[in-house]
Amino acid sequence: MPVVTATLALIIFSVGAVSGSLGALLGIGGGVFLVPFLNLVLGFPFSVAAAISLTTVIATSSSVSAASAGKQLINMRLGMLLEVATAAGSFLGGMTAQLIAQSVLQKLFGFVAAGVALVMLTRLQRRNVILDPTIDPGVLGARYYEAESGGMVTYRVKRLPLAIGASFVAGNLSSLLGIGGGIIKVPALNAWCGIPLRAAAATSAFMIGVTATAGAVIYYGRGQLEPALAAAAVLGVQLGSWSGMRFGAFASVKGLKLMMAAVLFILSAMMFLRGGR
Amino acid sequence: MKLERLIGVVLRAGVVLSSTCFTVGLVVYLLAGYTDLSRLILQTGVIVLLATPVARVVVSIGQYVSERDWTFAALTLIVLLELMASAAAALVLNRRL
Repeated sequence: MPVVTATLALIIFSVGAVSGSLGALLGIGGGVFLVPFLNLVLGFPFSVAAAISLTTVIATSSSVSAASAGKQLINMRLGMLLEVATAAGSFLGGMTAQLIAQSVLQKLFGFVAAGVALVMLTRLQRRNVILDPTIDPGVLGARYYEAESGGMVTYRVKRLPLAIGASFVAGNLSSLLGIGGGIIKVPALNAWCGIPLRAAAATSAFMIGVTATAGAVIYYGRGQLEPALAAAAVLGVQLGSWSGMRFGAFASVKGLKLMMAAVLFILSAMMFLRGGR
Repeated sequence: MKLERLIGVVLRAGVVLSSTCFTVGLVVYLLAGYTDLSRLILQTGVIVLLATPVARVVVSIGQYVSERDWTFAALTLIVLLELMASAAAALVLNRRL
C-alpha cells in the first residue's frame, strides 16, 4: 500500500481531474487513463490502482445519473435487468482479480485499452428510433424526447440475450481492470440491440455504479483501497468531468479523439510490455 | 416518472455527502496529518460512496413492490443479493488470505 503524502494526494487529484475531463469529453469514462497512470507511473500495485479507479467510476455514475434522472433517457427497466448480469460478472471479476497475477491483469488491460481505442475511432452510430410516439415499445423499450427530430421517439429492444452477454463481460472486465465497462456495453446495445446511442449511454452510466460497487467492495474488504487516495481521485474526477461536460460543447472533439486513441495505443503497449516481464 | 425522481434524489444525496466527507477529510489531513479523525472522515466518505448504489437498488425494490410489479421487484432483489454476496466475499477473503 502506497504511503499517503500531501504531494501524492495532490498528484492523484490532478490526474483524476485530467482523466475525468477526458472521459467526459470522449464519452468513455476516465478509468482507462487513471489505472495505467497509477500502476505504471506511480508504481502502485495493479489491485490498488483498480480499487481507486473503481471508486471514481461509482462517483461518476452516481452524479451523471442524478443529473439525467427525470429526462427519460435512462431506461430503468432495461438497466435493472442488465444489472443482474453486470453485477454477477463484476462479483466474479473481483474474486478472480484476487487470485491471478498482476502481469496477467496488465496484459488484459493492454488488450482492452487497444479495443477501447478502436471502438472510439470507429464508433458507429445507429439511430434506431421510430418517429412515432404511439407505437408500443414493449416491456423493455422506451420513449424519450429527441431534440433533433423535435418530438417523442420510440425504440424497441432486440436480441436481449446479446445485451445480457455483453453486460456480463462488461461487469467482469470492470472489476478485474478498474474501469466502468461502458465502452463494451454501449456499442453492443447500440449496434446489436436496437437502442439509440444516447439512451444506451445514459442507461450504461446508470448501471455502472452498481457494477463497480460489486467489485470495489471486494477490494475494500481486502484492504486494497486507501481512503485518502480514493478521496483525492474522486474529487479530481468529479471536478474534471464537471468541467468536461460544461465546456465540452465548445471543444472540437474529433482531433482530441484521434490524439487520445494514439495515447491509448501507447498505454496499451506499455501495459502489455510491463505484463510480459 | 416517480421512481426516476426518487432515484435521482438518492444518488444526489450520496454524491454530496461522500464528496463533503472527502473534502473535509482531506483538509483535516492536510492541517493535522493522517490522524484517527481524518481517517475516520475519509472512511465514512468511502462507505457512503459504496452505499449509494446499494441504496438506489433498495429504493427501486420498494417502488416495484408498491407498484406490484413482481418481475422487476424480483430482478432488483437479485441485484441486491449479488451486492450482498460481494460484501460477504470481501469479509471472508479478508480473514482467509
